[in-house]
Amino acid sequence: MTTTSITNVRDLADTVRAAFEDGTPLRITTCGTWPESLRSVRSGATTLDCSAITGIVEYIPGDLTLTARAGTTLAELEEATARHGQWCPLSPWGTDAGSFGATMATATRGPLTTALGAPRDLALGIECVDGTGAVIRGGGRVVKNVAGFDLTRLMVGSWGTLAILTEISVRLRARPAVDETWSVPLDGDGVTERLHVLRQGVYAPLACEMFHGAAARAVGLSADAALVRLGGNAGFVAAARSALRTASTNAAPHDPAVWTRAREVHAAPVLQTLAGAIDRPLDRRVKAQFDPRHILNPGLFAESA
Amino acid sequence: MTARAPLPGSELCVHCGFCLQACPTYLALDDENDSPRGRIVLMKALAAGTIADTDPFVGLHLDQCLGCRACETACPAGVPYGQMLEATRERQASVRPTPLVARLVLRVFERPVVLGIVMFGARVLRATRLPWLLAKLPGRIGASMAMLASTRRPGGGRARVALPSSTVPAAGTLTKVATLDGCVMEGLFASTNRATERVLAINGFAVTAAPGQQCCGALHVHAGDADAARALARVNIAAFEQSGAALIAVNSAGCGAMLKEYGHLLKDDAAWRERATLFSKRVKDVTELLADVGPRAVTPSADAPRVTYDAPCHLLHAQRIADAPLRVLRATGATLIPLPDAEQCCGSAGLYSLVEPSLSLRVLSPKLAHIANTGAQVVATGNPGCLMHIGAGLVRSGAHAVARHPVELLDDAYAAERTS
Amino acid sequence: MLQRELEAIVGERNVLWRASELLVYENDALPGYRRRPRLAVFPGTRDEVIAVVAALWRAGMPFVPRGAGTGLSGGAVADDIVVLGLQRLKQVLALNAGARTATVEPGVVNATLTKAATPFGLHYAPDPSSQTACTIGGNVAENAGGPHCLKYGVTLNHVLAATVLLPNGEIIALEAPRADRAGYDLMGAFVGSEGCFGVALDVTVRLTPNPEQVVTLLSVFSSLDDAARAVSAVIAEGVLPSAFEMMDNPTIRAVEASIYAAGYPLDAAAVLLTELDGAAAGIAEDVQIVERLSRACGATDVRTATDAADRARLWQGRKKAFGALGRIAPDLVVQDAVVPRTRLAPILAKIAEIGQRLNVRLCNVFHAGDGNLHPCIPYDASDADESARVHAAMKEVMELCIAEGGSITGEHGVGSDKMAYMDRLFATESLDAMCRLRDAFDAERRANPGKVIPSRHCREWMSVRGVEA
Repeated sequence: MTTTSITNVRDLADTVRAAFEDGTPLRITTCGTWPESLRSVRSGATTLDCSAITGIVEYIPGDLTLTARAGTTLAELEEATARHGQWCPLSPWGTDAGSFGATMATATRGPLTTALGAPRDLALGIECVDGTGAVIRGGGRVVKNVAGFDLTRLMVGSWGTLAILTEISVRLRARPAVDETWSVPLDGDGVTERLHVLRQGVYAPLACEMFHGAAARAVGLSADAALVRLGGNAGFVAAARSALRTASTNAAPHDPAVWTRAREVHAAPVLQTLAGAIDRPLDRRVKAQFDPRHILNPGLFAESA
Repeated sequence: MTARAPLPGSELCVHCGFCLQACPTYLALDDENDSPRGRIVLMKALAAGTIADTDPFVGLHLDQCLGCRACETACPAGVPYGQMLEATRERQASVRPTPLVARLVLRVFERPVVLGIVMFGARVLRATRLPWLLAKLPGRIGASMAMLASTRRPGGGRARVALPSSTVPAAGTLTKVATLDGCVMEGLFASTNRATERVLAINGFAVTAAPGQQCCGALHVHAGDADAARALARVNIAAFEQSGAALIAVNSAGCGAMLKEYGHLLKDDAAWRERATLFSKRVKDVTELLADVGPRAVTPSADAPRVTYDAPCHLLHAQRIADAPLRVLRATGATLIPLPDAEQCCGSAGLYSLVEPSLSLRVLSPKLAHIANTGAQVVATGNPGCLMHIGAGLVRSGAHAVARHPVELLDDAYAAERTS
Repeated sequence: MLQRELEAIVGERNVLWRASELLVYENDALPGYRRRPRLAVFPGTRDEVIAVVAALWRAGMPFVPRGAGTGLSGGAVADDIVVLGLQRLKQVLALNAGARTATVEPGVVNATLTKAATPFGLHYAPDPSSQTACTIGGNVAENAGGPHCLKYGVTLNHVLAATVLLPNGEIIALEAPRADRAGYDLMGAFVGSEGCFGVALDVTVRLTPNPEQVVTLLSVFSSLDDAARAVSAVIAEGVLPSAFEMMDNPTIRAVEASIYAAGYPLDAAAVLLTELDGAAAGIAEDVQIVERLSRACGATDVRTATDAADRARLWQGRKKAFGALGRIAPDLVVQDAVVPRTRLAPILAKIAEIGQRLNVRLCNVFHAGDGNLHPCIPYDASDADESARVHAAMKEVMELCIAEGGSITGEHGVGSDKMAYMDRLFATESLDAMCRLRDAFDAERRANPGKVIPSRHCREWMSVRGVEA
């Protein structure tokens, strides 16, 4: 199995075009933090390492938008935006050593997704190279845009089976003025239901994840518990805090660093459930339009003939 | 094709479509040709001569318009739809015959003596209870009988009697108000007219008559017979000028809207233009007058009726009067229950219920359902057409609710207060 | 014969073929853009839609789907093909208050859905200005926005699933991706496809809980520049208003002269309408920030709506602004460009310069929080010289927005009107990719052909009329 390192879009386009002409299967990686996610890619494929297509292309804090190349790590995005009191709220299951491109290509969610949006909701525009080597752009860098058919939504979450993402623009959020984490013991007595009601209400938390058994231990919790993150301005969080205490008198403040571990612990089961299927004629026609020779991550989706 | 004058007002339409959902016939028929925007397109094309006045389908869509003018309230550009429709119907009347039933009614309404005889006949018929028996018949007969039945008022007197003296301001400072009798109001709702006079007097108005007044001409304008309406307008302006009243009180929303538009109707008549404009400025709906002085309220009693209010289009959309009737109803001490879609036309629309009976009933049916859901005993509405159309619907569906004029309810409340 | 075949499916009154009865279907809400269809057909049930589309497929006849015809891009009109009107499909099929979802037929009106959800304390969040008339099917086709999309997101973010009928008769259940399901986001691709991919037979949308509290502020400015800076300042501070709207002086004057007079001060260079909503606790802090920053940027007055009626009045003025501008002159062009928020102030200054130089009445009423501009010009189309200047001005404005890194449409869609700008925004390879996406849904180009992508960029050339100058 060979590995080719790519440093820019032009080279990527040339490489894919050559592979398209030869029918060479390609296995797309960036940081390689999730090797198991590409396990089902047909063996013998050439690995295209795109981690060197990296860097923030444009970040205008006042616009709350950011454009970065696919190989940029989440940690780099975190660092750049934190300086301006902002964040890119992807915060996916897994680690911040992972790449922006892989997060968007797999549309991986995270604990903040319910409150702040899934990758498809945050994406504003993309640049990618499809299975014929064509460099394609969709969407743009502004926060509202309906110009043209939506290639952005098509490519986000397509797992590199239609095109290889090279650059993505996303909307950012201002970090909340107050951001605190609580642990809530899941000690029966309807606390799970009350937390559910809390999540549906006006004082909904930024995140609320439940950990049981081995997962709880792996996260470092002494017993089954929910991790709850409250964020907003001071007045809001004060009210949310008392709503949380009403839901559980045993709620206690927790070290926010726990989320790093929680995201890693939760990642494996999430990846397992993502083995999707492209089984409808429409899916196959889409595939045929963008990767007619099935060279991009072949075998990743259970493609029926 | 001869060159024609463009349709004044049509240039304001930006085709935005905000009017569609305000239009009862679009809601019933789902074709933009039966929406205000579609009809404006048709009217413009007729005026421009790009489609023929004789096109039967164009005529159909225009005939199907209720003229409720709900679209005017919804229109951000202020398109004067009602005036455009009347102008178009006037053109159309010269090439397309008005339906026989409509022509018959119009000619009757122009002749006070004939009208008197017809209304007398109707009252005799009403006294026989026959209308209740025939109300369930299908078609126009049943509908007309149900309408007639719905106008009966137990114990309501027709005769003009001495008015109770006002309690508030000293005599001599009272505002002198002349009342419009109204063809249908005086013919079938005389007790409501008397109630109007009593209520005005109690609230500090000096009520006077305006002899010589005739039909307001609204039905004529709606049917495209503007010339007949202009003739009636001149008679009425003269009669009310003669009365010496400062204001003209109207308890029929359709007539009130017409009187308020005499200025527009006679705009091309140099001799009458100014008189008509001055006259129109003095016209007030009776609820408008009462709301202005803050009607004397009755203390709510335990057995106050549950009342819901349906806004007559010619009050809400044509005259833009929304709150005044509600203030009058609150003064009665009744329990007011909001009526969903109260701003939507009931389907009466003057002669419409006679000319387009089936569509008229389709428009009415959601209204009856909403009324039933409120559980109200009384539907208040200030226009004879609506009173009769909704009233007939209630009679025919065997509902317990009745339709009443808001002022009638206030008069009842005052009477109950006096006897208790 | 197609007409008879369609009449057999939907009944005679639901097939229009006379020139007079097709007149109104020659336009959507983009003034002055007329296309003459051959027929209009209005199926009344899902089965009728399927049968009609099958008949059209057999006849080789393309169609243009239409809801309420309130679109502003000339998307729902076409020459010589069939208008497929879906306005009769107006049933709310299911409303699940617990799950906060509703499934509706495509002809359900946006505001009607909210009305149905109101008893449950819910609403449908996307609120285009035409919400009292426009349909959910049309909203999905255009990926409609609205003032409150600043906080709540556009149609895309609220559509969970749809049953879609492709022109070839295939019926597909599309679903937005969920945590437990991977696969291509064809739901996302379908939203905003402008009727070019097929028609939705039903749409399942998310309903949003009504906020506990709503505060509406009117800030008055003596210069456009100050108002634009206030927008940037508030957003940069981390406050996310639910709506953030700007109106300039000509718009204020037009609104105040209409029946929707909202009490905007006539001498203001600009007003900002800011709405904050959500949980009651915490709103006060945000209100203070907006007030403080607005004043710091030069607001001469900031007032809070006193009650629901006052708030409704302030909003009516904004929502009916285009109509009010329509009163100024016989014709009106409205554009829909998006620019980066931080560039608002210099761009508004340049737009004003363009208006002055070309002697046209450029008015601005727009979603400032999104940077979504709606420059509009009231004019008289019968004046050839003025028309030419108006179109030249709009072209300059659009080119300015493109040059500033913006987009040519934020919510109205490309339709026919903005096709000419598509290749300024995208290279041929990207436009071809968009054509390929459409081909997966509709390889024969039977649904709304000739829209969105200029044909020369697709592998297959279709004859299309040029955009009207």
